[in-house]
Amino acid sequence: MNRRTLISRLAGLSASGILAAICPALVGIPAALGQEVDSDAILNDPEAPTAGNPKGDVTIVAFLDYNCPFCKKSAPDLDRIVKTDGKIRLVYKDWPILTEASVYGAQLAIAAHYQAQYDAVHHALMGIPGMRISKETMLEAVKASGVDMVRLQADLGARADAITALLRRNLAQADSIGLQGTPAYLVGPFRTSTLDYAGFKQIVTDARAKQAAK
Amino acid sequence: MSRPFLAALASLVLYLMTLAGVASAATQRSADEVFRLGVERAADHSLVLTWTALPGHYLYRESLKAQRPDGTRLALVTPAGEQKDDLNFGPTEIYHGQTQALIPAGGAPATGTIIVTYQGCAEQGICYPPIVKSLDLATGAVAKAAPIGVPERSPAAAAPAAAPAGLFSGSLALTLASFLGFGLLLSLTPCIFPMIPILSGMLAQAGGRLSARRGLVLSGVYVLAMALAYAALGVAAALSGRNLQIALQTPLALGLMSLVFVALALSMFGLFDLQLPQSWSTRLAGGKPGRGGSLGGAAMLGFTAALIVGPCVTPPLAAALIYVAQTGDMARGAAALFALGLGMGLPLVLFGTFGARILPRSGPWLVKAKQGFGFVFIGLAIWMLARVLPADVTLALWGLLAIAGGAWFGAYALIRDHLRLLPPLLAVALALYGLVLVGAAATGRQDPLRLAMRLDGAGAVEPESTAAVRVVSTSAAFDAALAEARAASRPILVDFTADWCTICREIDRTVMRDPAIRARLDTITIIRADLTVYGSDGQALMDRFGVVGPPTLLFIDAGSGREVDEARTTGATTVDAFSAMLAKAGA
Repeated sequence: MNRRTLISRLAGLSASGILAAICPALVGIPAALGQEVDSDAILNDPEAPTAGNPKGDVTIVAFLDYNCPFCKKSAPDLDRIVKTDGKIRLVYKDWPILTEASVYGAQLAIAAHYQAQYDAVHHALMGIPGMRISKETMLEAVKASGVDMVRLQADLGARADAITALLRRNLAQADSIGLQGTPAYLVGPFRTSTLDYAGFKQIVTDARAKQAAK
Repeated sequence: MSRPFLAALASLVLYLMTLAGVASAATQRSADEVFRLGVERAADHSLVLTWTALPGHYLYRESLKAQRPDGTRLALVTPAGEQKDDLNFGPTEIYHGQTQALIPAGGAPATGTIIVTYQGCAEQGICYPPIVKSLDLATGAVAKAAPIGVPERSPAAAAPAAAPAGLFSGSLALTLASFLGFGLLLSLTPCIFPMIPILSGMLAQAGGRLSARRGLVLSGVYVLAMALAYAALGVAAALSGRNLQIALQTPLALGLMSLVFVALALSMFGLFDLQLPQSWSTRLAGGKPGRGGSLGGAAMLGFTAALIVGPCVTPPLAAALIYVAQTGDMARGAAALFALGLGMGLPLVLFGTFGARILPRSGPWLVKAKQGFGFVFIGLAIWMLARVLPADVTLALWGLLAIAGGAWFGAYALIRDHLRLLPPLLAVALALYGLVLVGAAATGRQDPLRLAMRLDGAGAVEPESTAAVRVVSTSAAFDAALAEARAASRPILVDFTADWCTICREIDRTVMRDPAIRARLDTITIIRADLTVYGSDGQALMDRFGVVGPPTLLFIDAGSGREVDEARTTGATTVDAFSAMLAKAGA
């Protein structure tokens, strides 16, 4: 499959997604997901890159785009809360919806996951300031991250179908829960968008309280 | 009230406040709720697009875009926005509240739909994907549209040039008339030059028995066959997605065609009488063979000559193919190309009809004329083989032909009783020219025309443009060249060309040699996609840009890696037109 068809399929998916009704913020994810949405698929996609504490008691699912300025703005705070809290499991959902280069960046990052370098590539891409980053600039940043580029190119080719499938799953999941734009964070039972460190800290606390109350 | 109770109350209030904050951040409105688009036609017929963003939301100025459904960009006049310069955004202009943009009268179509794209964010920290709407200009209705163009488009694969598609709107008669006129225009280009000696040779072969009427019939059949060949090209291209004329530029096809011309030449020299089998020509010519040129022969020559000899139907073929692809109306596309062939051939019919009178009736002059065309045919054979032979071999062949021609006519003149001055002089000149060419070939010169200019003393050595030119013929090489070119941050010209492409050579000789153009070419990077050797590599390169054939010139923006909109030219071009393209590309 060439890139053009990939992109058009991705686009088709996102366009055909349901315009979900506005979700009350305090509705738990399982409820918000409704019957047809498999929350386990969102939280535990075996191919999704993860970070933080694998046995953490709160899971943050981050839907991100590498040309999303607010993603870049909140990325350091997200990293900080995951690190300082110590009991957060972080699931990355590459959700390239803003620009065409976003798709390329997502492919690079997911391909790096096959050599356990997702984190390095992800941070390299999120670390480029701006919202109109070209593919070439992204590639440069990835090269500079120290990842094995030969292996990366090989995985981009050999695992193209798997990478596409994961991106399509992410797009479908975002559509199914009515996400509208980037960034989107699912924190325990809550969903939110750009937050600063204090905001993340608060919502993680609230998520623990809510989960404990169940 | 106890302190623990107060503390609990305070923490409850705090908790609720936090939840409220989370709620406001988490309630995601859809992009359509946030940004509303309306359209109005102003009194002066310009189109006014109005966006309204809810408080706390804004649109990016650079994201506003209007296109025709085929991807052609429409001029959109947007107001200056608020400057926003943030580390995470980079410098950009945004609009809060209400914004109006204008498509000037004349720039906007009167009816049909246009596609409008815009993109924005919420201040609280959400960026929305690009929103794509189709506007029905008749009703002003706004509907969700499948995204066309950016960002779902792959960078180096733009929609094919769509301008010629307009030729197909309107009635069939209008379409056909347009293509007929297009053909007439093409007949003024070097496209048609090789056809003239072929037709003249054919008429000369018919010789003294040729009346004006017969000339009309013969050239008419020749032109009809030519037109049929173009229609067939269209159908073949529509069915296979390949430009058959390019696929025919192989050593085998060119070699065979050259052989045909050599055979024709030998026949002209009187070595044998070249005719179709009696039964064929009888059937083809309606039962009266030998009446001055075979109709079947004329038809075959016309058909093959159009397919192989004169490959320059790229622009109309591109137009017809786009039309066929958009409508599935293959018959109309084929009919249009047929009309094109007729248009190209009309001057030939005139030439065949009235030229027949000029041709000598009989006697030694006719013999000489036929022999002359024999050399012309051999020249055509060399000209075609030049597409696949090394340049020095070709030059040597030209030299040999000139020597042989000189010797032939010189010998002829010498054995005549009454020696005239002109033929031997001509013969000596030809032979000398031939010697020079052979000598030049031995020392590595390549182009007979340029050599001749140098002998004139007028041409001197033309300086090559100093623009960086990378020649590629595969996608991999193209990618490498593109990456390198983009690193240079100069506008990039992609020039689809081939040695056998007459128009390409013409463009190189005229437009690209214009001093002003050359100066501007020095400021850009040129990637030359060489399609001389046809194969899957070249086809892949062509597919990537939706190119039908050479010559096609397009520009890529070094920053975005995308093709520059409305800066593509297919087919012949002029200094002015190309200059405008350069301006659009920022060169």
